Parts: sequence; structure tokens; C-alpha cells
Amino acid sequence: MPVLNKKTDAEKAADIIRDAGGRVVGRTRLQKMAYLLEITGLGSDFSFEYRHYGPFSEELANAVADAQLWDLITEEEKTANWGGSYSIYTAESSTPKAKVNPARKQLLELGIDANPIELELAATAAFLKAVEKVPDPWEETARRKPEKAAKFLAKAKVLYEKLRSVQTPKPLPAI
Amino acid sequence: MCRTICYNPTKHKQSRPPLSVSSGESSWKVSVDKMSYKRQRIRDPLYNLIEFPADEFHDAMWQVIQSPQFQRLRRIKQLGFSELVYPGATHTRFAHSLGVFHTARKLMTIVKEHLDKSDYQETKAQRALAAALVHDLGHGPYSHAFEDVGKRLRIVMADHEKVTDLLIRQGDISNALNKLGGGFASDVADVIKKSCPASIYGAVVSSQFDADRLDYMQRDRLMTGTHHGAIDFDWLLSNLEVGTVPHGVDRERVGEIETFVLGPKAIYAAETYLMGLYQLYATVYLHKATRGAEKLFTELLVKVIELAGNDSVQKTGLSQNHPLIHFAKNPVDLECTLALDDSVISGALSMMTEAEDPLISDFSKRLRNRKLFKCIDVREDIAKGIRLRLSKKSIDSKIAKTHDPSVGGANQANPDRKEKRRIDALDRACNAAEKSLIAFAEENRETIPKVLIDSPGRSIYRDFEESKGPLNQIMIRPGLGDKPIDVASISQVIKAIAPFKAFRVYMKDGDEKTKTTINQIIEKEVKRCRC
Repeated sequence: MPVLNKKTDAEKAADIIRDAGGRVVGRTRLQKMAYLLEITGLGSDFSFEYRHYGPFSEELANAVADAQLWDLITEEEKTANWGGSYSIYTAESSTPKAKVNPARKQLLELGIDANPIELELAATAAFLKAVEKVPDPWEETARRKPEKAAKFLAKAKVLYEKLRSVQTPKPLPAI
Repeated sequence: MCRTICYNPTKHKQSRPPLSVSSGESSWKVSVDKMSYKRQRIRDPLYNLIEFPADEFHDAMWQVIQSPQFQRLRRIKQLGFSELVYPGATHTRFAHSLGVFHTARKLMTIVKEHLDKSDYQETKAQRALAAALVHDLGHGPYSHAFEDVGKRLRIVMADHEKVTDLLIRQGDISNALNKLGGGFASDVADVIKKSCPASIYGAVVSSQFDADRLDYMQRDRLMTGTHHGAIDFDWLLSNLEVGTVPHGVDRERVGEIETFVLGPKAIYAAETYLMGLYQLYATVYLHKATRGAEKLFTELLVKVIELAGNDSVQKTGLSQNHPLIHFAKNPVDLECTLALDDSVISGALSMMTEAEDPLISDFSKRLRNRKLFKCIDVREDIAKGIRLRLSKKSIDSKIAKTHDPSVGGANQANPDRKEKRRIDALDRACNAAEKSLIAFAEENRETIPKVLIDSPGRSIYRDFEESKGPLNQIMIRPGLGDKPIDVASISQVIKAIAPFKAFRVYMKDGDEKTKTTINQIIEKEVKRCRC
């Protein structure tokens, strides 16, 4: 790999996985965790846009693919009970806990433990508030994702409050 | 006016009044409706007649079509710069939008046949049909190339989905749609904005077999004149069914959803459909000359907007009141956004050729005269280099095999894995070459860039989920009563279709020094490649 002075996107993507303990289950989870880092000032300068499943970064998706090419991480594809498949990302090693920014570490830990649907809804609401300036992001999230919201919105709100309680350089917007 | 007398938004929003009642007040309504609504027809090169019957719904659609915002689509070409390669490809998003509406109605008849009469909801169907008509309203000049400008400069109004949403929810389009009931326009916008096709009605607008794809594949093929990418449209539609598939997020199941699936006899039509998409990406949508023109366009517009934003309009060759300058100075203004279209930009090229700024002057001349940057297909050149190396290696290994019987065993036993390793090696080489080229471009930054880098890629599937799942696949029912399965699991042809990837560099013709550098980078990566 060519040696550049600054970290490549692939290295930044691998860092997210390393800082999260070396293992992240699910592409959606990885995308939403990266978005929460970005919006709170703890990210790696990946740009996100609204897609079918909420905030999504094509740059990050490409960076993850590059990180695999260069053996910084591995992606294992597993079959989910519902019939689709999901990915498990593993970095060779995790970053020593003491070296990870404490707020970044807390956010990543919450993301790792969260239900991915709740995480998607929470990240979507944050995006709608921060970027689209929607007055009632939860209502709008429910409108856009009625099936997911019907079962998971209440828990997504609880998760969001936990995420918001982390002392980050930029606070998550109050919703 | 009868429309005022008959119109009852609340009633219409819930259910449409019957059209064939034979007595009493309703009968009077129907006859007056028929008198007031006019049947309309449009001649289309692909479908021949696109008809708008004399009823309230189609009257509203006709009003949408008459709006200035919809008429603007006549000035936005469907394929942007593709006409530089395929001179016939001058068809517009206006014609495509009508075609999508027409196809959506065909798909909706499949939905209607599938659902019981009591389950079929006319209002939901009409929302989806209206969404099909207006889905492209927000496209800017040269469509996707303009979106690249927006991404570079972080201009939200260059995002066509954002502009489409605004246009549906306000102004003339909204007024026309809301004749079908208060809030109808907003519901239409929601259909387009939904997280994924939330119901079978939404699948008409957004699925692996949505009306958009079915129209553009046929229309673009017809208008470019290419003989690639043919699909068996009638057979596909005749074998399209409604099926239930599960969907989820990562490991978690969300539920089940109705979408289009193919019947057992459509396996070969499915293969043709996906092969057709692949071929269209390779030969039309991601054609090297088209992409080269888009790259020049993006650089050109970025420069104009940056200069205008820095009060240096005089360097752009454009006047202060040119629509592009207005847009540059008011990038969040919807009216300024809508004032831009292909004709405004192509008309500005001759003025920009006189610009003081060298990039604007040079690139506008290049676009006007089709004197594009020269393309070097780096991925193809690296692949050729690797193939050459492997063929030499193969001859050597054949000689070696006479002495070492173990050579070649493991790889031959698993050709898929071997092929994957080769593709990974090629991807790695391209990735490293891209980094070297970016570094070269940065080290040699000049007023006019020495190289323009492009690495497009497209999967043949539409992505609705971040993980793979039935919504991201083409599902087929292998036999009567069987559950739908991924068509790739029973078709070796489809299984073998990898995403289309390209990696190209564009440079000024005659710049031998840059050409040598690029070739050296390619050679270096071929040598370094471990495969």
C-alpha cells in the first residue's frame, strides 16, 4: 500500500472497528455508528446522505471495501434467520482501550450493544433533525419507516437518550 | 364548473366514487365528469400511444404535465452527455417520465389482479402512479453530472431527490395533485421518500422491477440505437407475480413485505434482464467518452460557481444575470435551481469560451467541440498486464509441473476462489494506482488539472437494504406453490454477473510526460500484483 502521511479512508474505517473492540456485526450497525461519531465531532470526515435506510456514507462503504482489500479488516458473510445475510467485520486487533477517546469509546460501545433497527431509527432521527431540519424528527422517522417504527420507535428513543448522555465535542441534537 | 360541484376531497381521499352507477345523483356526476374531463393521448416512440382517459385522476395527471416544472423536463436530456457517443440519445426526462407512468399503470394491473377486489386500494394505487409520473422532477442540468457538482460543493439543491420532494409538496405540482384530495401531494412525496418499498404499491415505483428501470432500459436502448441490453418486456410482465418476502436489518428480522417476484417460466427473461442491465452500464451509462465529458462538465461548473461565489463573475465569461450565476449566488433558492437546465448550460458554453479563467475557457471549448480529454483505461491496462504475466507464468508452471506434480492442484479444484483472488488482486492494484495518481495530481496541481480520475462501479441490483436480502435480489418462484428464492441460486448466468467496475484516467491529448507517468504507475502495479 502506498505510504501517505495522512490516514487513508480505509485506515479510518478500520479504526472504527478497532476502536469498537475489533468486531462489528452488521453493515447497518457500522454505518449508523460511524454517522453518530461524525455528527458528534468524533468522526473521520466521512460524508453522509439520506438513503432508504437513513444516513449512509458511500465513502465509508468504499473505505470498508478497501480496508478488506488491504487486509486491514475481514468481512464474513453469514445467513440471518430471516433469510437475508449479514456481515461480521473483524480487525486483526482492537485499539487498547486507554488509547481510544473516552466519548468515542462510549458511543461505539452503545452502538455495539444496540439492536440494529433501533440504532437505524435513532440515527435517522438525528439526521433528520441535524441535516433536514425537520421539526419533529421522530414523527418523520415513523412516517418514512412505518413498519420499523411500529415495533422499535419507543426503544429507539430510549437508545437516543443514552447516546445523548455521552459527553461529546458536539452534542447530539435534542429531539 | 362540475369539478367544483362534484369534488369532495375527504371522500376522494378515502375511496374513489364508482364510475358505472346507473341511477340517481351519482349517474349525473358521472355524465358531467365525462363531459368535463378530456381524453388525452401522447404519441411515444417506445409505446406508441400513452393515453389519459377522461376521468378525474388522469385529468389531475394531465394538469401536472402542463405545469412549468414538468415542462422543464423537456429541456433535460435523459442521458446527458451520452449523445456525444450515441447521437440519437437526445430523448428527455419528459418522455421518460411519461413512459414510467405508462409502465406503472401496466404494473398496477398486475397488482390489481393479484389482490382481491376488497383489498385493492385505489387511492394507494393512484399515489404510486402519480409518484411514477413525478419521480424525476428535480433533476438538474445533465442530471447526475450536476449532482457531482453539488457533492463537491455541498449544494443541497443539486440533489434531485431533495428538489423533487420540494416540487411535489409545493406550488403548481402540489396544487394539481391536491385536486385528488387534501394531502394527496404530500402522500405522493412520501411514496418516493419511503425507506424501502413499504407495500406492493410502492414496489411499482421502487423495486427490482420498478417502472423506472423497465422504461429506461427499453427507451435508452431504442434512442441510443445500441443493440445491447434488449429485454423481453412483455414476457417479463406476463410472468410477474406478487409475492411475500422477508426483510430485515443486519441479523434482525423486521417483517414481511409484498413485492414483485417472477413466475417459474421467466428464468431466461430474468437472465436477459440482468445481462441487459450489465451491458447498458458497460456500453452506455458508464461509457468512457460520456464519463469523460461529465468529468469536464463537473470541473467547469465547480469553477464557475466558485468564482461567482467569490465575486469574480467577470472571470467566468458569463453576465451577472445569467441563470448559472444566480444559482451560484443563491444555491439554496428553488427558483434559481429550476432556472437551470441542459439548454441553459449548453447555451452558455459559447460565452464561457471567452472566459478570462483558463479552465473555464478551455473546458467549455472542449465540451462544445467534443474535444474531450484522452482516456486511459487503467483497470483494463492493469488487467491486461496481469493476464500477460499469468500467461507467461502458466507456461513456466507447465514446464515445472513435469518435475513437481503438486503444482496447480488446489486452485484448479476451486476455480471460484481462484477467480476471486484474481479480482481482489486487480482491485488492489487499481486501488493502489488510484492513490498514486491522486498523489501525482496533487503534486502537479495546475490551473488546468493534468489528470481527471474516474472510478465508477454499478451493481445490477437496486439496493434497498445495507445487507443482502430478498429486496436486493430478483426473486423467482421455481414451481407452483413454491416460496420465492433468489434467481442467482438457480441461474449460473446471473450468479456469474459481477458488479461493473471501471477505473479510468483522463488527460490532455499530447501530454506525453503525464502519459508516461500514468503508464509507469500501471506497470508498477502489474509488477507488484500478487495473484
